[in-house]
Amino acid sequence: MADEEDETGYDEEVEDGSSGVDVGHGKRKRLFSKELRCMMYGFGDDQNPYTESVDILEDLVIEFITEMTHKAMSIGRQGRVQVEDIVFLIRKDPRKFARVKDLLTMNEELKRARKAFDEANYGS
Amino acid sequence: MADPARIKPEVTSERATSANEEHPKSEESEDVPATAKPTEEDKESSSQDQPKQEVKSESQAAGEDEEEGTSGQPNAKRLKVEPEKKKEKRHKVDEDEIQKMQVLVSSFSEEQLNRYEMYRRSAFPKAAIKRLIQSITGSSVSQNVVIAMSGISKVFAGEIVEEALDVCEKWGDTPPLQPKHMREAVRRLKSKDQIPNSKFKHILFH
Repeated sequence: MADEEDETGYDEEVEDGSSGVDVGHGKRKRLFSKELRCMMYGFGDDQNPYTESVDILEDLVIEFITEMTHKAMSIGRQGRVQVEDIVFLIRKDPRKFARVKDLLTMNEELKRARKAFDEANYGS
Repeated sequence: MADPARIKPEVTSERATSANEEHPKSEESEDVPATAKPTEEDKESSSQDQPKQEVKSESQAAGEDEEEGTSGQPNAKRLKVEPEKKKEKRHKVDEDEIQKMQVLVSSFSEEQLNRYEMYRRSAFPKAAIKRLIQSITGSSVSQNVVIAMSGISKVFAGEIVEEALDVCEKWGDTPPLQPKHMREAVRRLKSKDQIPNSKFKHILFH
C-alpha cells in the first residue's frame, strides 16, 4: 500500500540502503542488490539504476515471495510448500504460468540427459 | 502459427500426467478455441491426422471427430499416438520460434546484445531464495519449489520494470527509473490485481 512505500522511502533517507543491521521492519540486509541491478538493466532500465529503485524492487520481490509462500502453505498440504500449490496459485497469470511450466520441463529434461550421460559413461 | 504460450501448457500438462481423463480434456480445449484462430487450428489438426491415420480409420479434419476417435480407442494405442502427435506439433512451433529468434538476435546492435545477455543470464541466487522460503515455512522445501519461485519472481520483477518504464515514458522522463515511477507502476498493477495482497481483507457488507 502507499503507506508501506512511504515508510521504505523514510528508511532510505535515514540509512543509505547499504547492508545494515536488522533493526526495524524494512531495514533488512539487502539480499539481491547485485542480481537486481543486472535484471533491471536486462528489462530495459539504465545500465546503472538508482539504488533507491533497486531497494524498492527488492522489497516488492521479497513481499511477493512471502505472500506466495503463505498462500501455498494454506492450500494443498497445510504447512508445506509444494510445486503443485505454486502452479495452482499462478494459474490465472498466463506469463508466470507458462514460465513455470517451461522451467520445470527443462529441468526434467536436463535431469534425464544428465542421468543418461552418466549411465553411458558408467557403461563404457 | 499457433501461439506457443497457449499451446505449451496444454502440451506439458498432457505429458506430465498419464491419467486417461486428461487426454479427452486437452483435446477439447484445443479443438474448441472460442476466441482464437480457428483456421490455424484446423490446419494443425489436419496435419496431425496423418500419423493418426495409421491407427484409426476415421480421418476427418474436424475437431469433434478427432475427439470421438480418441475416446473410442483403447488406452494403450491412444497413449502411444498422442505424445508423437504433440511432439511433432510442438517441434514445428519450436523450430519456427528458434529460427525467428536467431534472425532477431543476429541483427542486434552491441548495446542490445549486452542487454539481451543480461536479460537471459540474470537470476536470483537459489541459496538466498531457499533460505527465505525456509525461514517462512519453518520446514525444508524441495529444489523444484526454489526453481519455480525464482522463475516467477523474475517474471514479477520484469512486469514491474516494464510498467515503470511505461510510466516513465508517459510522464516524459528519461530512463534511470526513479522511485516515483516504481510506486506508480505498483499502484497500476495493484488495480489490475497482478500484485498479491492478503493483508487487507475486503469486507463485503458492513
